[in-house]
Amino acid sequence: MLSLRQCLRRQCRSHVPTHRRRHAPPTSHRPHSDAAASLEQIERTHSRLLQALERSVRKSDPSQTDIAAAKQLKSAKPVHDAWDRYQRTKNALLETIPLLQDPEMADLAASESADLITDLDHQLTHVFPAILRPPSETAHLSALIELKSGVGGSEASLFLAEMLRMYTRVAHQNAWTPTILASNDSDNGGIKDAILEVKGNGAYDALRWESGVHRVQRVPATEASGRVHTSTVAAVVLPLSDDPPSDGKDDDLFKLDDVRIEVMRARGAGGQHVNKTESAVRLTHMPTGITVSMQDERSQHQNRRRAFQVLRARLMDQKIIREQAERRATRKNLVRTADRSEKIRTYNYPQDRITDHRLGKGNMAWNDIMEGDGLMEFVQSLQDKHNVEVLEDRFADLEC
Amino acid sequence: MPLARLAARLAAAIGAQPARQELKWMKQARAADPTLPALPAMLTRRVAGEPLAYILGAQPFGPLTLRARAPVLIPRPETEDWALRLAHTLAPSPGMPARRILDLCTGSACIPLLLCALWPPGTARALAVDVAPAALALAADNARLTHTPTLAENPAANTLDVLHGDLRHPGALARALRAHGPFDVLTANPPYLSKADWAHLDPSIAALHEDPAALRGDDDDGLGLYRRIAELVALPGVLAPGGADVALEVGWTQAAAVRDMLARAAGFARVEVWADPWGRERVVVGRRRA
Ligand SMILES: C[S@@+](CC[C@H](N)C(=O)[O-])C[C@H]1O[C@@H](n2cnc3c(N)ncnc32)[C@H](O)[C@@H]1O
Repeated sequence: MLSLRQCLRRQCRSHVPTHRRRHAPPTSHRPHSDAAASLEQIERTHSRLLQALERSVRKSDPSQTDIAAAKQLKSAKPVHDAWDRYQRTKNALLETIPLLQDPEMADLAASESADLITDLDHQLTHVFPAILRPPSETAHLSALIELKSGVGGSEASLFLAEMLRMYTRVAHQNAWTPTILASNDSDNGGIKDAILEVKGNGAYDALRWESGVHRVQRVPATEASGRVHTSTVAAVVLPLSDDPPSDGKDDDLFKLDDVRIEVMRARGAGGQHVNKTESAVRLTHMPTGITVSMQDERSQHQNRRRAFQVLRARLMDQKIIREQAERRATRKNLVRTADRSEKIRTYNYPQDRITDHRLGKGNMAWNDIMEGDGLMEFVQSLQDKHNVEVLEDRFADLEC
Repeated sequence: MPLARLAARLAAAIGAQPARQELKWMKQARAADPTLPALPAMLTRRVAGEPLAYILGAQPFGPLTLRARAPVLIPRPETEDWALRLAHTLAPSPGMPARRILDLCTGSACIPLLLCALWPPGTARALAVDVAPAALALAADNARLTHTPTLAENPAANTLDVLHGDLRHPGALARALRAHGPFDVLTANPPYLSKADWAHLDPSIAALHEDPAALRGDDDDGLGLYRRIAELVALPGVLAPGGADVALEVGWTQAAAVRDMLARAAGFARVEVWADPWGRERVVVGRRRA
């Protein structure tokens, strides 16, 4: 079968008189103006995106020949390619639109114009944003999830234990490696606080959306009256780099001299005179006052490594927040930093509903999140939302 | 006895928080190694005063996990701390000629095995000496466990050999060492409890699951074996003629006396005392002339 473009070329060659169009039977659904309207519509919807892309194409104009420009050209190639492809697709559509009124070709033209519109839409919603969005600088980082039970006492501790299981499961599902670095059990079988390491590419970028206050509403097992209680668990997700733990040398994040290393308990005479496990350590980073205590391992060496890991993660987190704040100060940055005291999610057991307050819609059922893979859907939606914000930022950048 | 009662007893003996942690470590160890005794059996032994390391059969030492087996002395965190510091302080660069290391009173061989583990391949050639056959057997087991070959097995690697020797006879020991020396580094954690200490043992060691000969020093002041070490290093062929680094662990009141002994022994540029993380004077370190 001939493609429409081939038909078109033949048509040109055979000088089909244009008046034939006038004799075309009027189509009831007027595909001609429909297709034109669709094009107009998607270009209007994405007008800022189109402008932004056009601007970056112009900015990296290959007419300059110096080395800097050549370098820029290299990185600008995807922008140019995308722009060319868009223009080609659009021209094809513009050529197709008149044929919709040609009785011989209307059907073929209709299906091809629909395809072309879908393609244009895809380019605008997926290809362009991905090209314009600056790549994540934290994409390679692993994560540390620090969980602390808040209001609600033992019920909060029970929920914290469930969250820990949830994150452990999610980690396995994503081929990350979860390790509980520290945990303090409560008396009722719950956990008062915990630190979970999640190792693997992309763990931080995905899990950072978990920072904030998680609120659970349900009837505690101990509650005779059947009244629903509200408890909270605070989560802080920290970036973890795979650099060797810095317990022997300086680091780009801190100077070893600034870290006070203390052992926890008194040991009397010590040495051969006593035989007790004394592996707990506490680090204090003096410039920031950050303290980290670790005592979960029998090995002091191991506790020390982990304490340094947590210290690094907290300092890197502060650095990222600081850099975001600086960026926001130097240009009008729209991407907001998460406020960790903010309530981000409610887990309502009696109503079998889990709501993420940052996403307007799309609640999940309890088991979707606590037993299934619903969390990654939340993560994806939050990532999409973030991507839009980042893109807005980029527009603002290109416009000034 | 039910588990809860045992756990409560342990808490009464060593404190609630340490007991909770030990219980957790027992569970973890048993989960990782089903050949270990079941939890109630472990707890019963622990409540009876047996050290945790013997029950679990393992003791961490820096990045290493060593085997622990009665009655060989369980490495202490103070020793771990100074041995790590020594490893960093003396660390050779890759490709440097091998240093000969002599570890006297080696016990589990924790000190030389740590140096072997932390130094670049081929830079550590260690000899571990003890008078107790049980210690020598454990030292050899730990060498295998940490993949440290003997010199005969692989001269290109960091190596450890064990040698039976009695420090009470420095002359004979020096002769036996001749085939392995002279040494660039000497380390030792000799038994140092004094006669007075022996009369008031801390509850954590009083049940004497550990070999008394690994704890109780010679002479009333517990410094007898340091005197023998001072004699040994003065004998020709023991320390390298160009000088050696010597690190001796001491009891919390003994640093000054041992520093004087080392200072009198010729050949050190300076003699330092390093404190442990709990603030006690713990190691006397004689540094070679640069
Ligand atoms: C305190 S332990 C030290 C073990 C190990 N170096 C450590 O730091 O954990 C002392 C060791 O010295 C050994 N020892 C005692 N008297 C000795 C002697 N006269 N000659 C050689 N070794 C001796 C004991 O068998 C014991 O293994």
